[in-house]
Amino acid sequence: MNEELILQHGLTLDEFQVIRKYLNRDLSIEELGIFSAMWNEHCCYKTSKKWLKKLPTDNEIVIQGPGENAGVIDLQDNDGIAFKIESHNHPSYIEPFNGSATGVGGILRDIFTMGARPIATLDSIRFGLIETEKTKYLLNGVVHGIGHYGNCIGIPNIGGECEFESTYDFNNLVNAMAVGHVQKDKIFYSKPKSIGGLIVYIGSKTGKDGIHGASMASDVFSEEDEDEKRPSVQVGDPFMEKLLMEGCLELMSSGLIESMQDMGAAGITSSSVEMASKGNVGVYINLDKVPLRQPLSAYEILLSESQERMLAVIDKKNNHKVREILQKWQIDYEVIGEITDTKRVMFESNNKKVVDLPVEIIVDDAPEYDREFYIPRKRKNKDFDFSKIKLEDMIINLLTNLNYLDKSWVFDQYDSTVMGDTIREPGQSSGIVKIHGTQKVIGASTDCNPLYIRINPYEGMKYTVAESYRNLIACNINPLAITNNLNFASPLDPNIMGELVLSIHGLKTAAVKFNTPIVSGNVSLYNQTNEIPIKPTPVIGMVGSNMDLNKINTNKFSEIGNKILILGKQLTKNCSPYLLQDQKIAFNICEFNDLEVIDLDFEKKIANCVLELSDLKFIMSCNDISRGGIFSALLKMQYKDMGFRVKVHDPIDLFCEYSAGYVIEIRSKDFEEVTSFLTKKGAEYLEIGEIIKEGIEINSKKFDYFDIMNKYRNDFEKIIS
Amino acid sequence: MSFKSAVITFPGSNCDRDALCYLKDLTKGEVHNIWHEETSLPKVDLVILPGGFSFGDYLRSGAMASKSKIIDEVVKHANDNRYLLGICNGFQILTEIGLLEGALIRNKKLKFLGKNCFIKKKFKNNFNLSIKDSQILQIPVAHNEGNFYCDTETLNLLKNNEQIAFEYCKGEFSNFEENINGSIEAIAGITNKKKNVLGMMPHPERAYSDFHQSQDGRLIIESLIS
Repeated sequence: MNEELILQHGLTLDEFQVIRKYLNRDLSIEELGIFSAMWNEHCCYKTSKKWLKKLPTDNEIVIQGPGENAGVIDLQDNDGIAFKIESHNHPSYIEPFNGSATGVGGILRDIFTMGARPIATLDSIRFGLIETEKTKYLLNGVVHGIGHYGNCIGIPNIGGECEFESTYDFNNLVNAMAVGHVQKDKIFYSKPKSIGGLIVYIGSKTGKDGIHGASMASDVFSEEDEDEKRPSVQVGDPFMEKLLMEGCLELMSSGLIESMQDMGAAGITSSSVEMASKGNVGVYINLDKVPLRQPLSAYEILLSESQERMLAVIDKKNNHKVREILQKWQIDYEVIGEITDTKRVMFESNNKKVVDLPVEIIVDDAPEYDREFYIPRKRKNKDFDFSKIKLEDMIINLLTNLNYLDKSWVFDQYDSTVMGDTIREPGQSSGIVKIHGTQKVIGASTDCNPLYIRINPYEGMKYTVAESYRNLIACNINPLAITNNLNFASPLDPNIMGELVLSIHGLKTAAVKFNTPIVSGNVSLYNQTNEIPIKPTPVIGMVGSNMDLNKINTNKFSEIGNKILILGKQLTKNCSPYLLQDQKIAFNICEFNDLEVIDLDFEKKIANCVLELSDLKFIMSCNDISRGGIFSALLKMQYKDMGFRVKVHDPIDLFCEYSAGYVIEIRSKDFEEVTSFLTKKGAEYLEIGEIIKEGIEINSKKFDYFDIMNKYRNDFEKIIS
Repeated sequence: MSFKSAVITFPGSNCDRDALCYLKDLTKGEVHNIWHEETSLPKVDLVILPGGFSFGDYLRSGAMASKSKIIDEVVKHANDNRYLLGICNGFQILTEIGLLEGALIRNKKLKFLGKNCFIKKKFKNNFNLSIKDSQILQIPVAHNEGNFYCDTETLNLLKNNEQIAFEYCKGEFSNFEENINGSIEAIAGITNKKKNVLGMMPHPERAYSDFHQSQDGRLIIESLIS
C-alpha cells in the first residue's frame, strides 16, 4: 500500500505498521477506510484518553457513565435522565446551516438511542469577531441550522451560550447538548444480547454525504481547504429524524429491540464495530442490502455519514412486527446482517469479503498517545492603572460588546416552549424543564471561560465548573452531573497539550468537590487555522434537579422596593480577567495577572445558603455573578421595566468578577431574618440597594433606563446585521 | 353532557401531545388522538389540528397534510357545525384545505420566531366569549410562516363578517413589538364565516398550566365549554 494513500487516510506510517504487523497481510482499501475512521481522535480519543481516565465518572446516582451513546443519571422513582454534549465545529465552519443542524440531529439520536425521549437541547456556540462578513454569515447560518432542526423535530431549546472572540475567526465552535427522559427499567444499550440476532438498518437511505467526516473533524484546516471539504458535510432532514425518533421509541417501548446504536460519525463502520466490541461478539453485514440513495462502492457505504440512520439488533421472530411499526412511520428498514460468535467484523459486497478484521485490533489496539506537554510559566503580578476609568465609559464598554448584550436575536429563532413543559427559557442562568407528568424539574446550563483557562488552565477550569454550578444554584436547582466537550487546538503543540492536561485536572478537582461526576463527553482537537489556535474551550454542560417545581427561583426582578444583596467574594480588580480585557485595560494575554485560587469549599458553603434561603421562600429572584460583574448580572435581571438603585464603595467593584457570587432579591420585611441567617452561616453579604421603577441609579448618579435597556435589548441585532 | 374532543396527528406534528394534555386537563372529558390515515372520526364537539411540521413542511406548510385521508372527515365535522381549531401548523393546514381564507407566508424578518406574544380579541365568537374586550392575553408563538396575508377584497369580507378573532397587540411593558410577524392588520387568528372554525398562530396549549408563564390559553377552552 503506498504511503500517500495511508497518509491521506489520516493514519501515521507507524500506526499503519502496527496494523500490518498484526494482520500479517495487506489491507483492502475498505479496511484502510475503517482504520482511518476508527483510529482518529474523534472516535478513539488517542490523545486525550490517558487524561480522561482520571475524571470521576461514578457516584450513587450514575446509572451509565461515559462509553455509551449518552450518560444516564438517576432521578428517583423510575425516572432517569440521559444527556450528552457533542461538537460539530468543523462542519459548521464549512457549511454553517447543515453543519449545525446535523450537530443537533446527531446529539438527539444519541439520546433516543438510549430509549430516552429528548426533552431539551442547549447550544454553546462561539464565533470570531463580528466585524468580518464571514462571522455574520457563520452566525446566521449556525443559528438558522440549530433552529431549523430543533424546531422541526419539536424539542425545546432551553439555553446555552454565544460568545465572540478573535481566536474563533476561522474555527467557530458549535457544541450541541441534549437531555432526555428515560424510564430506568427501559434503558437501551448498544450491547447485543444474543448470537444470531438480526442486524437491521433503520432510517434514511445511504448517500455520499459525510464520507470521511470523522477524519475531517480531526484535521487542521487551511483556508483553501474549505471548498474542497464541503462534500464531507452531512445534510440533515429533521422531519425524517422526527419519524425515526417516534418509530424507534415505539419499537423500544414495545420490547421489539435488543440493542441499538446510531450511525453517527464514521457511519455503519463505527456503529457495527461498537456493537461487536461492547458485546464481545462478531458482526456479519452484507453491504448489498444497505438501502442506497445512489450507486455507491463498498468503501463509500462503509464511510458514509448520511444522517438519520440507526442500526439495531432484533430477535428473528420479531422481524415482522418491527417492519409493521416502521411502515406506519414510513421509515426504510432492511435486515442487513447478523450477530456472530467470531469476534470479527465482516463485511461482504458482491459476494466478496471486503473486510475481515478482528474487533480487537480495531478497538482495543487503537493507538493511545502520551503527548509531550508544557506547564504554563508562572505569571508576575503587577498593578494596573485604573485612574482614568469612568463609570459611564465602563457601561458603554459593556453595551457595545456583543458578549454582554441580550441574545434574544439568537434564542427567538428557537422554539423553547414546545412539549409544554418548559419552565425557564433561554436567557436565564439555566434552562429548566419539567419531567412530564411529575412535579420534578431538570435544570441545565453550559459554560466555559476560555480567557481564564488560557491564563491558568487548572484554576480556570475550576472557575468554569463553578460558574455552571452557580447557574443552577441561582435557580434553586441541585447540581448532579456533568457532560463535557473539550475543544482545543492542536495537541501536537506541547503548550496546547498542557492546557488540555491541566484543564482536565481542574475539571476533576471541581467535579469531585461538587460531587458532580462526568457521565458523557466529547473531544474536539485541531481547532486551529493558519497557525492561530483557538483559546482552550472545554465546555461544561451541567445538569441538576429539584423535586418540586414550586421551589424554583426566577432570575428576573419580581417587585419594586425589594432589597438587593450580594453574596460571595469579589476578585480584586487586578485579577478580574474579563474586567481587564473588556474595559480595555489589558490587551495581550501575557499581560494578565495569574488567577486568584478559587476556594471550592467556599463556593459550596455559599451555594448551600442560596439553596436553603430559596427553600424557605426568602429569595424573590437570584442571579449568579459572572463576566461583567454585578452590573451585568443586574442588567440580566431587569424585567417589566424594573431597574435598580445601588451604592458601592468604588464603581469599579460593580464590574469585577466573583467567586461564589450571587445577586439576591429579598423583601424588606425579611431583611433581618435573611441577614441573621447569613451571619449565622458565616456567609458575608453586601446590601447594595433596591429595585426601582424604570430607573438605573449608581452612587446617586442617574442613568436613562430606557436608553440603556434599548441598547441592551436591541443592539445585538443592529451590530450583527 | 361532557365535552368530547379529538386531536389529529400527522407525521411531523409535534404539538399533538401538548394539545392532548390541554384538552384532557381543561375539558375533563373524553379526548381522542386520531392518526392521519384513519378514515373515520368519532363524534366529538371539538377537533384540534395541532402545531408542528406536518410532512416536514415540504412543498408548503400544511399543503401535504391537507391531502391526508382524515381530512374529508375533518371537513364533514366542520360542515356539521361543530368546532374545529387549527393551531400554528393547524392554521396553515386549514387555509390549505380552504376552510379558512388567506394564507400564511414567511415572517417579515424571514426568521423563525419563538417567543411570548400578546394578543387581544377583535370580533366576538364562541372561541373567545370568556375574554373581555380590552383583555391582553400573553401566549407564545413559534413559527416561520405566521405572517397572515390576503387580498383587500378578502380582508374586507373578513372584517364585514367579523371573522377576525385575534390580533397581535403591544404588551404592558416596553420591550414588546406590536405586530411581531408582519401579518396584515396584525391578524393573529381568523374564523370561517359560520365562526365554528378558528385558525390561530399563537399556542394556547403552551399557556394554561400553573407552571406556564401565563394561563391565558385556558380562556379558549373555557369559552367553548361555557
